[in-house]
Amino acid sequence: MKTIITVDDASTIRKMVGFTLKSAGHQVLEAADGLEAYEKLKGKSVDLVITDVNMPRMDGIELTRKLRALPAYSRVPIVLLTTEAGAAKKSEGRAAGATGWIVKPFSQDQLLALVSRVLPN
Amino acid sequence: MSSESFDDFQAELVKDFLLESSEGLETFDQDLLVIEKGEFDPSLLNQVFRVVHTIKGTAGCLGFSRIESIAHTGENVLSLMRDGELESSPDIADALLKLSDALRAMLEVIESSGSDEMAGDYTELKAVLDAIKNGEQPSGFEPPLEEAAAREPESVDTDSDGAWGFFDDEPEQETVAGGELAEESAGVAQAKEESVWGLFGDDEEPVVEKTVQEAKPVNVPAPVASKAESIAGATVRVDVELLDCLMNMVGELVLSRNQLLQLSYQRMIAPSDVSAISQRFNQVTTELQQGIMKTRMQQIGTVWGKYPRIVRDLASDLGKRVELETFGADTELDRTIIEAIKDPLTHIIRNAVDHGIESPEVRKAAGKSESAQLLMRAFHEAGQVNIEIVDDGAGIDGNKICGKALEKGLIDVEEAGRLSEREKINLIFLPGFSTAEKLSNVSGRGVGMDVVKTNIEKIGGSVEIHSVCGEGTTLRIKIPLTLAIVAALVVKSGDQRFAIPQVNLVELVRIKAEDMETSIETVYDTPVFRLRGKLLPLVFLDKFLKLPAREAVSRSSVSIAVLRADSQDYGLVVDVVSDTEEIVVKPLGKQLADMPIYAGATIMGDGSVAIILDAVGVASRSGVLGAAQKSAEALSNEIEEPQDTGEKVPLILFSLPGWENLAVPLEAAERLEEFDPSVIETSGGIESVHYRGGIMQLLRLGDLLGFETSFEGATREQVIVYKCGGRYLGIVVGENRDIVEQTLKLENIGSRPYIKGSALVNGRITDLVDVDAILVRTGLKELPESALCHG
Repeated sequence: MKTIITVDDASTIRKMVGFTLKSAGHQVLEAADGLEAYEKLKGKSVDLVITDVNMPRMDGIELTRKLRALPAYSRVPIVLLTTEAGAAKKSEGRAAGATGWIVKPFSQDQLLALVSRVLPN
Repeated sequence: MSSESFDDFQAELVKDFLLESSEGLETFDQDLLVIEKGEFDPSLLNQVFRVVHTIKGTAGCLGFSRIESIAHTGENVLSLMRDGELESSPDIADALLKLSDALRAMLEVIESSGSDEMAGDYTELKAVLDAIKNGEQPSGFEPPLEEAAAREPESVDTDSDGAWGFFDDEPEQETVAGGELAEESAGVAQAKEESVWGLFGDDEEPVVEKTVQEAKPVNVPAPVASKAESIAGATVRVDVELLDCLMNMVGELVLSRNQLLQLSYQRMIAPSDVSAISQRFNQVTTELQQGIMKTRMQQIGTVWGKYPRIVRDLASDLGKRVELETFGADTELDRTIIEAIKDPLTHIIRNAVDHGIESPEVRKAAGKSESAQLLMRAFHEAGQVNIEIVDDGAGIDGNKICGKALEKGLIDVEEAGRLSEREKINLIFLPGFSTAEKLSNVSGRGVGMDVVKTNIEKIGGSVEIHSVCGEGTTLRIKIPLTLAIVAALVVKSGDQRFAIPQVNLVELVRIKAEDMETSIETVYDTPVFRLRGKLLPLVFLDKFLKLPAREAVSRSSVSIAVLRADSQDYGLVVDVVSDTEEIVVKPLGKQLADMPIYAGATIMGDGSVAIILDAVGVASRSGVLGAAQKSAEALSNEIEEPQDTGEKVPLILFSLPGWENLAVPLEAAERLEEFDPSVIETSGGIESVHYRGGIMQLLRLGDLLGFETSFEGATREQVIVYKCGGRYLGIVVGENRDIVEQTLKLENIGSRPYIKGSALVNGRITDLVDVDAILVRTGLKELPESALCHG
């Protein structure tokens, strides 16, 4: 069982991701925007961060950048959950240090495939 | 993954989605209007973008492909605007507002049917949005396909629903997507067909396959048909702090209950124990009541939010220019009341734009600004909420209204002749006055003002209208804060108790029993009471309800509760006024429900039932207000100047020695002065004084009126100064007594020179001096027009 945080300002998406991950036996944390996530993650470590890109207060790119600056998060996989899989956004994501991306809409199986791929073992 | 529990979960997600989306769309229209004007900060645009963006993303995940696709086209336009590549314009705003309508409509379809397949056809809107995207921004956004392939998949809108990928491993390697990817792992193999996610490192350039919409369409059980309220109306957001506070108080309540239970087991109960517990109960319930009330409170802004849009659309349809301003949008009201005033307010707003406000040309010709002001204001006052809708439009022409009412046979010619300007305007509230076809009241279109009035009165409110022809109209709505608990006056009549809602109460008057005979008169068989010079028609509650009347002997006094109904006052005579109390309003049973004189019932502290009286109902049933008009007419014969009636005129009251009550209108007078008799010079029989660098002739009113006056011993001369064409005239009067505001109902005596007529002022017959005639006589004014001369 891994601990995964899902960051999205749309609660529907958070719940959906959460439900999928929980049903696969993971422990799931939630945050409604980048800032909340950052505050939550500062003191603890998780195995995977799945974050939306466009969010109020702090977006996913910024969150990725800030997390990467923390020693505890230098190697934790961070996946961007986005509808904008455009080139600009992608290179931005890459530059910020994200591990991968998944485009909305996605199915549960797709999400789980990605998760099992990025999580060690 | 499609287990039973998952379906339930999906249904819950859909509910969340609907709620979240409608919340997001709440301020969407308003924000767009701000953006249209161009006065906004970028964060607002980002916020608007995010609303559509979130809807698109979530809808996609839930399998609502149609809503996703339309949201996507809107998102494209907004994204260009956000990036500064597209300037906002009315056309774009139009399209985006239509998008907001479309999204709302689709959400509704999802809510009722569980899927968006039944949603209307929005291909046209989509085309418009796409045209805006492409037309206004010919280059850059959507690169040609080859180019896109050479770089990276551009965005989801390229039909190719992206994929997933890794950033790390081989950042710059170009590979053909899919194949390699699939070999990575079983999980990826699964993903291959959909190509929806990816790791940046794996594959930098996945050539994207056409994506089958993989996310399953969700089957949501259709909501129960009777559920009229939409999902947004069915839920409330409550501050967690408030909720904690409520929980705290419930805890207190439980403690108090335990104490009470314990007490009830004791054989001997000390009175002090009981009072301690009841005090505690009192405190806890009061706090709990306030707390719960707060959870039901909503800002009126939640309703107003949609008005800028309505005003904008309507104004542009009609070719008018209107600026809507709102004040007090944070004024809080009970949810049920907010619901109830939504449609009436919409109707009033529409009316104001449609009928009240003129076209820019007409406004310009009338010397007004081309763009009309429409003001909405809400504020608390005396435990009620006031809502004002003010426009600076054409106003209401009372005579036109009157003509229309005559035409429709709502009033007869005789009645029409008797109406004051204000009463004429109030004709628009008559049932059947509106010509509009009855369509639906959702938009407020096709509903007459009578419906507006009835709906507002139904919730214990009132509507007043003031209009000045050519200057504009003000509509004032007063509504109670809540319906469930109201402050009421408890009275007794015929040994029964009744409650009168405080909002209807103007004042209380107590008359001693021995004064009853003298102070209550009868005009046209209606008992009236003279209250500060005005006739107050009375209803004796015991007689009206045919209650066993108390014997006159046993009364030491009676009380008159002065009530206001339809902006007219009448007195309700009761035996005893007990107290004011907060009462809980219970609806009446079926058998009594259609009796308009009762507003409900309540249970008093001692467990007995008291009926709540409906002030308007009692008035109309007893016919007391019709009688009031008759009695007022009985006192004043023909009205000389109809425009004087109904409007209060400030008057200077003065007296001459031996002529007590005289008055002149304050309006025409320039100043009131006092002169020492020694400064008055007489030459050629004409008295004059030095005044403001010139000479002012003085006229003694007593002489003019042919009333011999001697001013022996007068140390100061009281003079009312008039100015006409740069010349001053002073009229010497005896003694200035007072300045009052008075509705003038002149009784035209006319036989005496320089006296216009007589009127009842503060209960005294007062003669109104005809200043015009005096000015004409002295040559200051030429034409004996009825209009008074101003400086």
